[in-house]
Amino acid sequence: MNFVIVLLALLGSVWLLAVVEGWTTTGRLRPAAPLLSGLAHLGRESIVPRTPDRVFFETAPVLLLIVAVLGAAVLPLAPTLVIADLATGALFINAALAYVLVALIMAGWGPNGAYAMIGGWRFLGQLIAYAMLIVMPITAVAMRAESLVTTVIVGSQDGLWNIVYQPLGFVLFFIAAMALAFRAPFDLPTAPGELGGGVDAEYTGVRLGVLRLARLTLVITLASATTVFYLGGWHGPLLPPWAWSLIKTLAVAVSMLLAGRYLPRIREADLMRWCWTLGIPLALLNIIVVGLLVLVVP
Amino acid sequence: MYAQAFFVAVFGLAAIGFGVVVFRTSSMVRSALALLFSQTAVGCMFLAMQTEFLGVLQIMMMATEMSIMAIFMVMFMMDPGGLGGMEMTHQKRFSISAGVVAGGAAIAVALLADWGPVTVEAPDAEMQTRALGIELLGRSMLIFETAGITILTAMIAATAVAIPVYTLSGNGGTETKETSE
Repeated sequence: MNFVIVLLALLGSVWLLAVVEGWTTTGRLRPAAPLLSGLAHLGRESIVPRTPDRVFFETAPVLLLIVAVLGAAVLPLAPTLVIADLATGALFINAALAYVLVALIMAGWGPNGAYAMIGGWRFLGQLIAYAMLIVMPITAVAMRAESLVTTVIVGSQDGLWNIVYQPLGFVLFFIAAMALAFRAPFDLPTAPGELGGGVDAEYTGVRLGVLRLARLTLVITLASATTVFYLGGWHGPLLPPWAWSLIKTLAVAVSMLLAGRYLPRIREADLMRWCWTLGIPLALLNIIVVGLLVLVVP
Repeated sequence: MYAQAFFVAVFGLAAIGFGVVVFRTSSMVRSALALLFSQTAVGCMFLAMQTEFLGVLQIMMMATEMSIMAIFMVMFMMDPGGLGGMEMTHQKRFSISAGVVAGGAAIAVALLADWGPVTVEAPDAEMQTRALGIELLGRSMLIFETAGITILTAMIAATAVAIPVYTLSGNGGTETKETSE
């Protein structure tokens, strides 16, 4: 039952995000647009490029969708509303999202196209930049909760959310999450206007439809992770717990969208330099500060 | 119990199957990703054997490690896509005999070693994580720290060797690449 509810919540959030995305880009609020666009993808011809690596080409969009949903499976909407309350939840989400890279390398290599391939390998470079900034802030979150269980992590924020307790970790995780979801300004693997769509370039029809759905699901999963780790999860007055989870998740997802709209795309080398020379020392500082707080403050 | 044995067997066979693919394909990326999924299947075996932390850790680590290996294979092999039909194997007789001997040794150890009493009830996943953490920060700390520092040193040394030397020349501070070896 939980599985169906979480999946429906995920789908609903994806739809809302797609509507907001359309609203910010075209200026028109059209609630039916994502559905119509999805149907149109189903109706279009789905072209297979010449001499593709067929296994990779077909697997990539589905794998991306699966890992996004798997990541969401350990994130609770309410104290009991979670698909799998694993003892290693905070580690499991990292494991699931590591396969975003595998999916993108497959999508890049599969179609036998230059732009796609550059896009796929670019994401590998991007991973080297953002990966530590996902893992190290989560470490600090787990330190405060003294557990990797996601429901316990939300429970540990009763009274004081982690965004206040460890704001540095929040900022780093938020930026790294945008890089993981390859949203602008970190949309190097797709880079419209420069790589002609990159990993998206050779996909058409229903396969492109799945790829787009997977990308939006990934954004929602990461927004949900931000909510669980930093924004107190289901905690909030008056409204029921699941409502707070959904509201916060959507707010984070929309803020990611808006941040991307007003920032120019970052260069690969700059992203790498800033992440390693500034990001990682700050993440280490965050761990030290949180460690001291955990030890000193009762 | 039977379900557990069934899943361990299924993932084990998947691991072997993907392992075979590694050597049966000429595409370097396919080969690397087949190795990745072989290791992922091993991670799933850990999960089926109720060692949750190790399983999840294995599944996570392999994704990035094997992907990074894939790009190095593409960079250094002559026919990364496998479309040129190049023969990429060598020392076949030696490698087959080495494989057979190593495989036989592994099976012999598995069958002949005294594994002690079988644990009837595995401790729950949270207890395992806790026990592993205490082990890593206690008895095994020195070993892991030594290994960690050694790997870090090797990485820094490799990077230092790989970076070309840039020096500031006298003419207006423009950077020039030093070519003399």
